[in-house]
Amino acid sequence: MASMEKRLQKELQALTKDPPKGVRVSPDGTCRTLSEWIVDLDGAPGTLYEGEHFQLQFKFSSRYPFDSPQVTFIGTNIPLHPHVYSNGHICLSILTEDWSPALSVQSVCLSIISMLSSCTEKKRPPDNSFYVKTCSKNPKKTRWWYHDDSV
Amino acid sequence: MGNCLKTPTTDDISLLRGNDSQESDPNLGPPPPYQERVPVYHPSPNVSRPANQLTEEEQIKIAKRLGLISHLPTGVYDGSVKKGKECVICMCDFVLGDSLRFLPCMHTYHKKCIDDWLMRAFICPSCMEPVDAALLTTYESS
Repeated sequence: MASMEKRLQKELQALTKDPPKGVRVSPDGTCRTLSEWIVDLDGAPGTLYEGEHFQLQFKFSSRYPFDSPQVTFIGTNIPLHPHVYSNGHICLSILTEDWSPALSVQSVCLSIISMLSSCTEKKRPPDNSFYVKTCSKNPKKTRWWYHDDSV
Repeated sequence: MGNCLKTPTTDDISLLRGNDSQESDPNLGPPPPYQERVPVYHPSPNVSRPANQLTEEEQIKIAKRLGLISHLPTGVYDGSVKKGKECVICMCDFVLGDSLRFLPCMHTYHKKCIDDWLMRAFICPSCMEPVDAALLTTYESS
């Protein structure tokens, strides 16, 4: 537990002090508890999401960074993207089976921005309505099928 | 328990400590019943299971993994690792005297940090190189 807190504290400090472009630790969420963060994301300029703002929620287990964080889009603007379900769940392999403890909140945010940026057509995943009706609240419980590397 | 030492009673404590009762915390209840702490293993990433609930297959996998990990070189940080002075798992800088483990891909971590990860996945967190494949190539080339 202690090592998880120490690392999260370091990450929070670094990300607050020197965040990459388009990423901000949201002032409304994070101060309550270290194990749950809200991060504001901006759609990258020159992409389909330019000018849009999103919120990501991170939940960390006591085994972080050995276990991946639980990451979902929250709020009113869930990006319209073939890998993002309307309930905010994201199909991204680094969030489950390709997770590594060398990754961080910052690298996850940058991966998500890059995933959004390479999108060529704004649309929901084809199985969106079925998935949203049947899935667990925790996206990590979903058996994701990573078959499309183009976006 | 078969112990020939006399168990201290309240009376003994009061004799030994006299009036010095400040040390004992009145909020402390009776000790929890004796329980054997079962170690928890992670047969695959994001899976945690107590040792007594592992399948035979998982037990073999874990035993093999422990053996492989023990073959990876270790050392003590003496300030000579010039490149990457930080353990990317705990994000702390190496401090003189820290126990390190070196992976065949030349990435270095705190022994405690990387061993915990290698029990879950046998890949280097930094370059995602499978450690067993790298181990084999090191053996073949040397």
